[in-house]
Amino acid sequence: MTEVHVIGQIVGGSGFPESSLFCKWKVQMGSAWHVIQGHHEGQTQVDDPSDEPIANWCHPIDIHFGTKGLQGWPKFHLQVWHQDAYGRNELYSYGFCHIPVSPGAHEIDCVTWRPKGTLIEELKTQFIGGSSQLKNPDLVSSSAELYKLRTVSMGKVHLRLHIIVRGFDKYGVEF
Amino acid sequence: MSTKSTSFLVFINGSIENAEVNDFDELYLRFSYVIGKDWEICSGLEEGTTQIAHKSVQIGSKIVFNFPLEVTFRSTCAHGWPQLVISGYGLDSFGNDIVRGYGTTHIPISPGRHRIRIPLFVPRSSSRFQQFLGWMMGRRPEFVDPKVVTQNAGREMTRVRSHGYVQVVFNVVTKDMESLGYRIQAKHSSLEKQPENNETEHHHS
Repeated sequence: MTEVHVIGQIVGGSGFPESSLFCKWKVQMGSAWHVIQGHHEGQTQVDDPSDEPIANWCHPIDIHFGTKGLQGWPKFHLQVWHQDAYGRNELYSYGFCHIPVSPGAHEIDCVTWRPKGTLIEELKTQFIGGSSQLKNPDLVSSSAELYKLRTVSMGKVHLRLHIIVRGFDKYGVEF
Repeated sequence: MSTKSTSFLVFINGSIENAEVNDFDELYLRFSYVIGKDWEICSGLEEGTTQIAHKSVQIGSKIVFNFPLEVTFRSTCAHGWPQLVISGYGLDSFGNDIVRGYGTTHIPISPGRHRIRIPLFVPRSSSRFQQFLGWMMGRRPEFVDPKVVTQNAGREMTRVRSHGYVQVVFNVVTKDMESLGYRIQAKHSSLEKQPENNETEHHHS
């Protein structure tokens, strides 16, 4: 049996217009993969930092995967949300990043984007709040569908991940 | 002489070096480790408290602890890798002992020396009124059990304010992980340059 451990943190987010932020995350993987132990989706705390414009989430990740093949290597789907002073949440951005394949420590900065609405929608967002969202959030990592979108660049999500693999040697897989 | 072992060991030592904070001068930290169900601590302190440290007029904004950490873990499965939990406390201007911040990090996995900057955050009151009441009564919101910061579940309910960092240095040695089939470092190096504001230092010999 081949196993992959992903251990680390969703450290935080920076470069967003406001800093009272939280992040929803989910791991998506191919059919050859399954989760043996650990949570593969969740939501971080809302951080409103007092000194620097970096939201610190320190959100623990500890996922134990089992796999029968390399195809469909798992990836993180990330959504960054903003919570305003009245507790209303609005979507800030989408992003995805592959879980690194090589064992060891990795610092990942995941760049993100938001969908760009029409002029009317953008003006509405500006004055009333609430932003355009994707009907199907799984679109963020589908390379065949993304060409349909118009997007605007947003900030980065920082992750610190350690990868441990087990049992791949037997099958001649090289990292 | 090598007998087939069924568990591996993770030996760490290091220190809590200092805290970088702006809003207050006095701080002490409590630390503990949170481990998965396959793990046990086979030597060393599993929790402790630092001295009450103050800022110095000459040296500026850092509160130095230089507090030693040394512990050995044993496990059969890498899931539930140990996490260090830190909670900081200090006296406010009325002499109440209040919480100054929580922070957490996984113990680094790759052998070597690592410096980690752990952000500190405090939970926020759910309303302005409670915030005022808390200030009046000298009671701030705090977690009943600091270990909630190491869990995924329930985090979406918490609103926090982060301020400052704690610097921790770890030296990590692992034993018998390879013989159990685990691979924790790549043979082939990646070409990607590490980001400039890299918080973890890796020194592989």
